[in-house]
Amino acid sequence: MEQWAILSGIEGNLVAYEALLDDIRRQRDSVAELYVLGDVVGLKGDNRAVVQRLQSPRTGELEPQVCIGWWEEQCFNLYLLGGLPDAPELIAQEGADTAQHLFESVSRESVEWMRSLHFGFHELDCLLIHGSTVGYADELTPDMPAIQLCDRLIRADAKNLFCGRSGLAFECWIEPSDLCSTIVTLEGTQAPKEQGRSPRRVVGVGNVGRILGQATYTLYNPANNHITFKTVKYGKAKGFALQGSQSQHGHESPDIRASR
Amino acid sequence: MKLAVMSCIHGNYEALNAVLSDIDRHKTDQIYCLGDLVGYGPHPNAVVEMIRSLDIPTCQGCWDEDIVDGLNACDCSYPSQLAEKRGKQAHEWTDQVIHPEVREYLANLPITLQAENLAFVHGSPNSQHEYLLPSMDGFAALERVLSTGADVLFCGHTHVPYVRDLEGGKLSMRVHQPGQAETQKQSTVSLKRIINAGSVGEPRHGRPNATYVLYDTDSKQVTLREVPYDYQKTCLAIVEQGLPPIFAWRLARGMEFAERADDPNHVCQR
Repeated sequence: MEQWAILSGIEGNLVAYEALLDDIRRQRDSVAELYVLGDVVGLKGDNRAVVQRLQSPRTGELEPQVCIGWWEEQCFNLYLLGGLPDAPELIAQEGADTAQHLFESVSRESVEWMRSLHFGFHELDCLLIHGSTVGYADELTPDMPAIQLCDRLIRADAKNLFCGRSGLAFECWIEPSDLCSTIVTLEGTQAPKEQGRSPRRVVGVGNVGRILGQATYTLYNPANNHITFKTVKYGKAKGFALQGSQSQHGHESPDIRASR
Repeated sequence: MKLAVMSCIHGNYEALNAVLSDIDRHKTDQIYCLGDLVGYGPHPNAVVEMIRSLDIPTCQGCWDEDIVDGLNACDCSYPSQLAEKRGKQAHEWTDQVIHPEVREYLANLPITLQAENLAFVHGSPNSQHEYLLPSMDGFAALERVLSTGADVLFCGHTHVPYVRDLEGGKLSMRVHQPGQAETQKQSTVSLKRIINAGSVGEPRHGRPNATYVLYDTDSKQVTLREVPYDYQKTCLAIVEQGLPPIFAWRLARGMEFAERADDPNHVCQR
């Protein structure tokens, strides 16, 4: 079976996204699906251009399957299309000036498009989502208590939970076992039950646009359940210029050129 | 220390009186209430005044929240759209008759209460609307208890009392991050307990009797109490007040009434 490329957090960084698409094209095992787990817009890049690029893939390119992220939710709020019209999370985190900047950097049409996106995707035994089923802001990390990650996997009703909120690349296997549950009701005591589950996995898919010059994403092979984290180096440490690319594990990739 | 914990009174003054008398007979040191003082029943003001006069520590239930915030809560828990319509009728009636000071009291109720290793919530630590059913996955239930930092979690909301012990659960965790050595951890969780107090004023365990629980903090003993009362008085008052008669029908039988769902695909639009 062919691989899936799973990414999150383009955050308006079109050059990083182009570099990543180039890296996907160069994979020896072909990539059949492209999932974008939210945060396609952000504060530093060209949000309109990224939205347009996602909406209109070029001939022969994969159609990206995009879900809603934290930044998209903030846009809904700023355009009075969300549940929190004053965007309190955004203002508390970034300030009112930043909120104004975000508002101006996305068009109403782009926000309407974002509103049409899914909250997540259930494919095979995988849930692909920005945060978790608890909410778009739920930030799963390997430092969380195991019981919380276990809870998110149970809620997801999936063996693999791919998420992007933290921006980290990680895989975390959780195996719950040996829990004895005894229930007493008005009708009497039920026989104790032992509960456990086979190991399940939370995968942080990395972040494309936040760190200039370095985009991370994840390749997943559903046939053998194998995960590969990819790091693509591009451009210079400032601006969005593009010069070169280097994949993870020291494999030098040829220089890539991409136009904005 | 002997505690009495009750929940989901739902404007049923007759049932509350009967339960308070039963608690008196058991000579408890402290009473806790897990919310839903109003809704469905015909005496919301009298119930709140009684709870206030006895200074009973109380957390906010989903109905208490809705009366304050104006039905902004998720209605997905209704079994059908007809049931949801009846719930809205009850909400509107309660909203009209409730006294301003009662509304203010409900608005200021805490979401959770904590006393040493005991935590008290209406639905779950996550939300007044989440049901901690006995059929819930054991590890998910364990997460709810652990999130409070307590050993015993008291809840209501389901209207059916139960005690659930969760013991010996193990969690193995293996983490791989690029450029870092793989790490492994294993932990075992000591005994945790969920105690559902049932419902004083709208029981759904198959009999009309009010339910609540007694808990001894020294012996850890839990007693599920079932208290008969003159439920027909409440049924009559429901009909007299113009509330949906089906509320009286189900109260007399101790069950939820659910016709076939109009829209089985009804999903939360919150």
